Amino acid sequence: MQLTDFFQFHAPTKIVYGPGLARDLEAELNDLKARRIFVITDNHVQQMDFYQETIDGINRTGAQVVGVFSDVPANSGLKTVKQGATLGSELEADSILAIGGGSVIDTAKGVNAEMSLAGDLMTDFCGTHTMPHPLNPLIVIPTTAGTGSEVTLVAVIMNEEEKTKMAFVDRYLVPNLAVLDPEVTLSMPPYLTASTGMDAMAHAVEAYLGVDASPYSDALALQAMVMIRDNIVKACQDGQNIEARGNMLVASNLAGVAFSHSMVGVGHGMAHSCGGLCGVPHGVANHILLPYAMRYNLNACEDRLGVLARLFFIKGTGLTGRELAEKAIDAVFELQRELARGAGMPVRLSQVGVKEKDLPEIATATLSDGTCIYNPREVVYEEVLQSLKEAF
Amino acid sequence: MAVFENAEVLEKILGGFFRLLSGTPEVADKLIKAKLIIKFHYTEPDLTLTVDCSGDKVEISANDDTKKPTVEMFMKAEIAHKFWYGKVNLTAALARRQMTAKGPIPKIMALLPAIKPAYAIYPKYLDDNGFEKYNIHK
Repeated sequence: MQLTDFFQFHAPTKIVYGPGLARDLEAELNDLKARRIFVITDNHVQQMDFYQETIDGINRTGAQVVGVFSDVPANSGLKTVKQGATLGSELEADSILAIGGGSVIDTAKGVNAEMSLAGDLMTDFCGTHTMPHPLNPLIVIPTTAGTGSEVTLVAVIMNEEEKTKMAFVDRYLVPNLAVLDPEVTLSMPPYLTASTGMDAMAHAVEAYLGVDASPYSDALALQAMVMIRDNIVKACQDGQNIEARGNMLVASNLAGVAFSHSMVGVGHGMAHSCGGLCGVPHGVANHILLPYAMRYNLNACEDRLGVLARLFFIKGTGLTGRELAEKAIDAVFELQRELARGAGMPVRLSQVGVKEKDLPEIATATLSDGTCIYNPREVVYEEVLQSLKEAF
Repeated sequence: MAVFENAEVLEKILGGFFRLLSGTPEVADKLIKAKLIIKFHYTEPDLTLTVDCSGDKVEISANDDTKKPTVEMFMKAEIAHKFWYGKVNLTAALARRQMTAKGPIPKIMALLPAIKPAYAIYPKYLDDNGFEKYNIHK
């Protein structure tokens, strides 16, 4: 394979996996010297059985849960981060435990930065690698299998005043410990399983196609795709299938490590814009837009898309490279349809509140998205608009 | 050893280049549309250049602390020099922290298409203005 001029691999998060593991974190908490733990979660997670069992388990270890902040909305913002950080500081917490999905985890990253650094999150640390020193220990128990945020260096937090999503990219935002316990994902309904799972699939595919892909990110992205291919439908059909749940959780994590290195591309750019302007949930937007993003990049990535075709059991005999690449895109369309039938997933932007008149604005916003520099083809307004029209 | 001998030389070269771009409609029109104030913090030698696109024309100033920047970029002068040659892999430079960006990333990204023509202008600018010795192609 042709190697890029430069790549690096740095995955400092300790990852532990096991059904029921969230209830017994003594060894890991001792390692981190976490004693006064501030929990960040949301109101929904707080009602789940495993949540209280997790808290009780921590309090049995000699560490102490000093407080809980559960007012985290779906698209969390700077105000929420401020509230959480104020409470965490008042409680003199020495570490943070995030239990939840992407919004909770990103909020916890923001709260951790606010609590650990002198300065204002928005004014002083918005951007790339602006944080001067490591933060307090951050432990994450993801309750969905999609975001990958438990291992990434990115936090996306809404600026409520400007109605824009702010990106914070910093090596110090990477959590110290990711606890992958498939039991905490058992209650996810099929729709959420499918949308978060396709978010993970989009992470893996775009990490594999991106300009910063390396042999390291490739290995993780490809393995993630295999595990999602084999388990997403099973997990939607039978939410109690612990093996399928475990595979999805690990796949999401692998895809997270992959895209934390090689980033994502125009598919995520379009998805972020659909989310910011029309409120389309991130996973749903990625589910709809992924095959269109692959098609957008067809001319730049024929060979790599051909690899994905084989991954979807397509035999290349008698096919040109381009035909094989197109088959990979077709396979993702077919997976979309399967999830539409099995989990009620939408397949068009028009089904999720996007209006045709919104498309030009979404295309414009996509061009300003930070993901565009990692896309293997130049991101051009007219072509993005065309992709959006096709997905509409 | 640093590429530029001192801040005065750096100001002459990069400040002059920005002033050239500010008079190049192909670039300047897009910068003005973005309505940003960008402050570049250079080290080795130390200098800041502020590119103010918030008005009707692009204004360049050195070591100017009177304007509040929307976006700030931090890098060694050598990295900036190579960047304008198109010889810096931006994603790698960000990953290696050779460049750091402070402020709203989408606004920074929106500028990239605007400055694209500048890569071809920079070497010619050096040659045309008596800075041939800094032309890394020579």
